Amino acid sequence: MRNARTVVLEALLVAFAGAVFALACNALSPRGLHLSRNYFPGGNRPAVSATNLISKPAGALPNQVLEATLRRLEQQGLQSIQSNDVVELFRDARHEQGLVVFLDARDDQHYQAGHIPGAWQFNHYRPEQFLPTILPVCLNAQKIVIYCNGGTCDDSEFAAIMLRDAGIPRENLFVYAAGITEWMTNGLPVETGARRSGQLLKSGP
Amino acid sequence: MTADAVASAPLRASDLLALLARYSLGALFIYMGLSKALHSVEFLKLVRQYDVLHHPFGLNLVASALPWFEVFCGLLLVLGIAVRGTAVMLVTMLVPFTVLVLLRALDIYKAGGQPFCSIKFDCGCGAGEVLICRKLAENLLLAGLSVGLVFWRRNRLCLRYGLV
Repeated sequence: MRNARTVVLEALLVAFAGAVFALACNALSPRGLHLSRNYFPGGNRPAVSATNLISKPAGALPNQVLEATLRRLEQQGLQSIQSNDVVELFRDARHEQGLVVFLDARDDQHYQAGHIPGAWQFNHYRPEQFLPTILPVCLNAQKIVIYCNGGTCDDSEFAAIMLRDAGIPRENLFVYAAGITEWMTNGLPVETGARRSGQLLKSGP
Repeated sequence: MTADAVASAPLRASDLLALLARYSLGALFIYMGLSKALHSVEFLKLVRQYDVLHHPFGLNLVASALPWFEVFCGLLLVLGIAVRGTAVMLVTMLVPFTVLVLLRALDIYKAGGQPFCSIKFDCGCGAGEVLICRKLAENLLLAGLSVGLVFWRRNRLCLRYGLV
């Protein structure tokens, strides 16, 4: 009995010391999370059931997933945009003038691997890193197209909500729900590396 | 037999087994913890997928603290500090987590109709996508080794086997 009490007491000590260690490491780590920040504005429940994305092969996400995303965007008061309109905006002369802006809401690794040419990266999980650059660009723009991987990816939605909360007029924000996956499937150009790197890939289905 | 007496006794197979369990569990938890801590946003998204925590603070707390807590426990095991208390903490983490993984797998099984053991997903364990049956077996083994460390009382190569 005494032995069991000793082990439990030791476990409690480990738990306490471990919690202090963990919180200190998180606070010191450049990749640490802010405990008080809401990283999922608009809902902390997963938007699409995990079962939907697991049972389908990558790149073959069902229409129901896209439809669910579109419904959710509507509930959030966000506008969605379809492939044809995205292509039209991409080819619009205002794109070169910075009046039509594309935002890639994915992390560095995905952005570097391939993004819509000229798109700015806006990883909303690290706003302190991106907002100072992105906000002036968006304030100057007439139309802002935000995308991520598409399908079950909801980072473009969260990025749009963050921009709206930061003062960007909602009528200027468009979420491209089908995302870069559809863009690439349609064989549209993809830029690798940094923005305006000039390294273009011709993607294909 | 006291802990000192155990330490000075000749090396036996059970000592080796306990050492192996300690080092393998410790190294695994350090690796898994670091792989999550270095990809904290991805881990946060995976924690959210379990649909258990809905408040931002709760989600952030688990996603930020759990990986480093695992690293801490792994270090204690490798160094041989508070071995039994640490092993109890591992069991405390492994059992509920395994239940959550199982429940999520059952949800997928009911929804998808595919064979249970062919279900594969990233459970947030730090090793990417895994086959569910393999993951459950792994977790049972890890929990078994942790329980073993609680009862075996082997203090070979330990800096401080017991704290209390």
